Amino acid sequence: MQRIHVSGKKPVGTIIAVLCVGAAVVFGIHVSHEDSTHPSSDSGTIDAEVVHVASTVGGRLKELDVSVNQHVHKGDVLYRLDPEPYELTVRQAQANLDLAAAEVENQTRLLSIKTSNAATADDQVVRAQTNRDLAARTVQRLQTLAGKSYIPWQQYDQARVALHDAEVSLAQSRNQSVAATTAIGDLKSSIAAREASQAALDHARYELRQTTVIAPVDGYVTSLRVKTGEVLAPSQVLFTLIADDEWYAMANIREINLGAVQIGDCVTVHSMIDRRTPLRGHVESIGWGVLSADSAGIARSLPIVPRQMDWVHVAQRFPVRIRLEKTSPLLLRLGATATVEIRHGAACP
Amino acid sequence: MRPARLRLSLSGLCLVATGGCSLRGAPSFPVVGAYFPDWMVCGLIGIGTAVGLRVVFLLTGIDALLSFRLFTYVALGVIAALTVWTLVFGP
Repeated sequence: MQRIHVSGKKPVGTIIAVLCVGAAVVFGIHVSHEDSTHPSSDSGTIDAEVVHVASTVGGRLKELDVSVNQHVHKGDVLYRLDPEPYELTVRQAQANLDLAAAEVENQTRLLSIKTSNAATADDQVVRAQTNRDLAARTVQRLQTLAGKSYIPWQQYDQARVALHDAEVSLAQSRNQSVAATTAIGDLKSSIAAREASQAALDHARYELRQTTVIAPVDGYVTSLRVKTGEVLAPSQVLFTLIADDEWYAMANIREINLGAVQIGDCVTVHSMIDRRTPLRGHVESIGWGVLSADSAGIARSLPIVPRQMDWVHVAQRFPVRIRLEKTSPLLLRLGATATVEIRHGAACP
Repeated sequence: MRPARLRLSLSGLCLVATGGCSLRGAPSFPVVGAYFPDWMVCGLIGIGTAVGLRVVFLLTGIDALLSFRLFTYVALGVIAALTVWTLVFGP
């Protein structure tokens, strides 16, 4: 067997070796540069926005118009809760409103009565004033006559008593007039009560409408596992609706390569549901923050800083969000694995 | 020749050679339910090329001209792997 010398003496062989190694190193540097300026990820996911479908009111599920994995359009009726309790509440609120409206009419009548009473009291003041003036003039006339003994003192005394009586009557009627005017009041409280009843009725009608749940977006019904008869608490999620008007791919790109990612860059995405069909997309945004294990800690407490002696640090990755162009819905399922090639690949010539 | 045309001809060659080579499409290759990355495929091709060249050079006598054979063959394998990456997966 021929012995192979690691360090040969042939100059041609040495030249070939140096050329090959040099070419490999230069080529390697070139490829490394190309790779870092055209970031890619093979651990991306297909993503979409979701709506957790729930009603703001609770009750028994009476009618379920959708089944799991079904596609629905915006405005379709998804399910209905038993409306009876809410209809009863509407009737009760309606009756309360009628009561409050009747009370307003009642108060209106009372107001007119009190206004008439106040007018009567004013007239009484005028009458008492007239009587008092008459009594005062009588006392004045009799005072002269009594001084000259033309009339008995008795008569003069009676006139003075009558004057005093008329003055008391005048003061009383003035007080009564003030009281009657004050007692007129207004309709504010009864009108406010009517407004409150109207608001209560509107709220009851709103709650009645909430017993019918309609689709807020086009999408697919997922994780629906119950049938009619289920009792739901207010705001309890019945299922999740995956909106299918916009689809996205999420790819985690290392921070050292983020400088090469620009908003609006063309992106080739392959959904691994069919790895032969390239999907075209554009970079929409880059995540502004991820939770770091080093900065995790309890608020208002001291920072948790682990002691360390590791010399190699793995690059942090940030999620890059890519908006996909319209494509076959069969390729798009939330959570599907996707490969992402930014600014290169089959869809970005 | 431009890389795009090279890529096309290489893919065509692949198609002919293996009757449905799966290099086209996503840069990720499913094997029994797990996805293997493109660079791993390139590495395998590089190793295969180095071994193949060693056999060819032994048969043709070129091997006798070489010195530092380990470095030469490793470099040739690396060049082959990087060439496949540039033509098939690269930008």
